[in-house]
Amino acid sequence: MSDSGKPMIALEGISKTYPKAGAPAVQELNLEVPEGTISMFIGPSGCGKTTTLKMMNRLIEPTTGRILLDGEDVTAVNADELRRRIGYVIQQVGLFPHFTIGDNIAVVPRILGWDRNRITARVDELLHLVGLEPKDYRDRYPRQLSGGQQQRVGVARGLAADPSVMLMDEPFGAIDPITRERIQDEFLELQQQIAKTICFVTHDLTEAVKLGDRIAVFGPGGTLQQYDTPDTVLTHPANEFVAEFVGAGAAVRRLSLLELSRLELQTVGLDGQAERNGSPTYEADAQGRPVRWAYLPGTADLPKLVTVPRTGTVYDAVDIMLDAQTELVAVVDEQQQLQGALWWKDLVEGLKTKAGA
Amino acid sequence: MSAPAAAPSAGAPTTEEVVRRSRQRFDRSLIVNPLIAVIGLLLVIAYAASQGLDDVERSVINPGSLGQRLVEHLILTGLSTLVVIVVAIPAGIAISRPSARRIQRPVLAFTGFMQALPAFGVIVLLAFSPLGLGLPTAVVALALAALLPVLTNTVVGLQQVDRALIEAARGIGMSARQTLFRVELPLATPVMVAGVRVALVLNVGTAALATYVGAGGLGEPIKGMLELGRPTGTLVAATIVAALALIVDWLAGLAEYAVRRNAG
Repeated sequence: MSDSGKPMIALEGISKTYPKAGAPAVQELNLEVPEGTISMFIGPSGCGKTTTLKMMNRLIEPTTGRILLDGEDVTAVNADELRRRIGYVIQQVGLFPHFTIGDNIAVVPRILGWDRNRITARVDELLHLVGLEPKDYRDRYPRQLSGGQQQRVGVARGLAADPSVMLMDEPFGAIDPITRERIQDEFLELQQQIAKTICFVTHDLTEAVKLGDRIAVFGPGGTLQQYDTPDTVLTHPANEFVAEFVGAGAAVRRLSLLELSRLELQTVGLDGQAERNGSPTYEADAQGRPVRWAYLPGTADLPKLVTVPRTGTVYDAVDIMLDAQTELVAVVDEQQQLQGALWWKDLVEGLKTKAGA
Repeated sequence: MSAPAAAPSAGAPTTEEVVRRSRQRFDRSLIVNPLIAVIGLLLVIAYAASQGLDDVERSVINPGSLGQRLVEHLILTGLSTLVVIVVAIPAGIAISRPSARRIQRPVLAFTGFMQALPAFGVIVLLAFSPLGLGLPTAVVALALAALLPVLTNTVVGLQQVDRALIEAARGIGMSARQTLFRVELPLATPVMVAGVRVALVLNVGTAALATYVGAGGLGEPIKGMLELGRPTGTLVAATIVAALALIVDWLAGLAEYAVRRNAG
């Protein structure tokens, strides 16, 4: 989330005009992706987000402007060598059907002339990293894998030569929704470990909000409309276009961005220790885990006590409240100790985040 | 085949499907053709034996002389097919490159024209060229007539390679040349081999005309027996050419099957 990181990849005044087309596909684009963060490119189709991505590794050569990779101007270096330094993952995966999984991952290390032992070790390491057991999958062919597994291998191939930048063009777009959600979670976990600088094209706002440290909203004629954190894009759209694109549901989407640990919660006391004077109290079992509400101000009708982990989001809390039909949810930490409570009415009256959080 | 679990992605057929497909690919003609060739040859030899051959026929239709003609015929076929491969595959690759797409249609039209010309006419006409009479003339004429299947199959084979694979190859840093040799050509090989098989079979048949420019081959006993009015001898010689064509096609078919199976 931090904006202080130095830009790992940057575009300066990039434009692309195709010879026969009148209007440019991408116009005067300036974009910096801080090291170790994920930037999501989103926008309606034909707005230049994929073109922009492909200009970063010069699959498409920009008409004007400069591309900077880790501060180095790479606009004119050998494009093949440049691409070996940048991971690339596409929606169709593009695994070579006549190569084994291991050989698919080893393509770039082989081109780079790594020795055999290093390549084998790297292939196994990467298969492990994407959750495929090396000895089971190394020698299989792509057609023997499911779509989700193929895309994991696609990601592993992109990471093969340990590039600092990864470009991903709708990598999870063709995967069924259930697998997609799981693979997104795994992808976030993976990013925790590898901390790559990632540019990620998507057409799915939910995906952009979930995965992105920043979101770049592209508009007509290949213009960058807004480039900011998901929170800001959802709450403070830069203009009419972004507001309309983010559209209905932005407020609900935003709930999934807010972690409960960042909120100023209603204080709650253990029954018998705390006064029954305005704050709720609860009864706990021998391990100190909350069991039921003992007192709620202003009502004798005590609802069931439901809990949500502190690491969850406001979205999860709302989900649990709706599910249990209560207006109050207890927030607990990893040891199931109660940290506070969240009221339904807090949602409408405005959530208070902790100072400095 | 319709298990719901197998739905998630196109391009990831179940193993079951793959097995079924490769079984389907096993052409029934791979069993039937050699049988027809052998049975037909045996029948004709039996017929000739029952009719008896006169001295003139026996001077041509005997194992020694037929063996020599067979070797000549195979050399003609082999050389002309080699010329076709050496010319048509690089040409096919060249006109499939994005920079040369414009000349693709004219080149294919020209080779189509070459194939449309009657091989007999081309062989005889080429004898008036500086090549003169003999083996080179026959090889050039045969090769010209068989360029088209190899050229088109090279172009089509390269075209049917999934664009996404080429994009992935270039995107991860393979050069254009590496992409061609490691991705495009291996994946186009089955289609290209099918084209070579067609050219080979064309050449086996057409090589029977090489005798008219003095290049020998199995056309020679056919022509000789015809000129001397010996129907039984003609029948034997012609059957041998037909059987040879079927057997060469069978061998090429086996090779094609092996290539396809390896390519998955």
